[in-house]
Amino acid sequence: MYARRASQLLKELDACEPGQLVVFNSDVFDQVIRECGEHNAQFQALIRKMVEQNLDIETTRNEDHYGAAIHHLSLLRNKRCLMAYMYNRAETIRSFRWKIGPVLPHEIQEKLNFSEKEYFRSHSSAIKSYISEMDIDLTVDMVPPKDPYIQVRVLEDIGEVSLGDHSVSLTKNSLHFLRRTDAEQFISQGLMEEFLE
Amino acid sequence: MSSWEDEDSAAASAAATTDVELLKRAWRNEKAAPEILHFDSALVSRAREQIQLLEETLDDFTDNGVDDLVVSLYQMDLDRTLFLLRSYLRLRLQKIEKYMAHIANSEDLLSRLSQQEQRFAKSCKEIMEKHLEQSVLSKLPYGYDSVTRQSLSSTEDDMVPEPQLDTFVFCKTKSDVGAFQLDDVGEEVVDLVADDLYVLRYKSIKGLVEAGRIDLI
Repeated sequence: MYARRASQLLKELDACEPGQLVVFNSDVFDQVIRECGEHNAQFQALIRKMVEQNLDIETTRNEDHYGAAIHHLSLLRNKRCLMAYMYNRAETIRSFRWKIGPVLPHEIQEKLNFSEKEYFRSHSSAIKSYISEMDIDLTVDMVPPKDPYIQVRVLEDIGEVSLGDHSVSLTKNSLHFLRRTDAEQFISQGLMEEFLE
Repeated sequence: MSSWEDEDSAAASAAATTDVELLKRAWRNEKAAPEILHFDSALVSRAREQIQLLEETLDDFTDNGVDDLVVSLYQMDLDRTLFLLRSYLRLRLQKIEKYMAHIANSEDLLSRLSQQEQRFAKSCKEIMEKHLEQSVLSKLPYGYDSVTRQSLSSTEDDMVPEPQLDTFVFCKTKSDVGAFQLDDVGEEVVDLVADDLYVLRYKSIKGLVEAGRIDLI
């Protein structure tokens, strides 16, 4: 059946947890692109045949007309599936900018194709230029603040840090009660995490 | 009892006019509306001034050794206002991301954005188009390579994601609106009473939201 391969791509998207990505399926993707070319060749051949028979392609309703229509519609369906596949993946990739940050970890990088990596970089820089034009960092404060102080666990040795009027020694795995604004910079760098009991 | 209630409502009406309260309302409306709303640049710049003022006050407090409890209350207030502002701007950016092509193609929608947001929407759309172009469209046959149309035989843009305006929203009336017509033909009329909750189609109350007569929740 025509356009079955393309729907496989979408089934793959659908089977994925929301907000997660699987590896870009370049095998099936390329096959569908090839299929599009074949549909177009067949479509053109049928139209040519009708023209050669001196039939009016606007009004004739013979088997070649319906054959051509089926190739045209299959091509459209393939295109929609390919676009939906890229577009929905791009949406997830964009959400990584908000959830993870401007640099993606290796295990996500390898799921993206070349163009997707470029897309992430360009889109991140669009967000960055908005943030610098507005002069307000939008990538912190993702959840509503409850308390000016939070309990944090240190993930990496940070060493002696002076916070306000006193200094704290931030050694790995130690627990601290810090001002949220002080802790935030370390959390976004991945050096600390909020400790929730 | 009645004097307590009076005080409460007096305090509530005073609070409803502060900029933070207005920002909260704009944030809530933006969160619940399916489409992007007007950017209130005056309100945002007032909120930013207040944030700066609060920051300066806090610095003064720490310099003058004011009681820690007072400082932390002010800090909490500052944190909340900052969160509100950030979240409001972020929500709008994410909405622009979602409907970039739809917004960037419409003068009416573009006029609802701030200057910076307009630039963001345009580059957002260009980046997306480039990505789709190089990964899909350039590999498709002639006639099928448009980003907004399925093929040459499409008579209008049929591949642009748009927000669904006929979705249902929860809303609360601020004052009496009176008999309000929900559809074009006038078959469905609802009496909107002050301070009451309704679940209505966004499309039909869109005008009331824009005029600030009803709040989304």
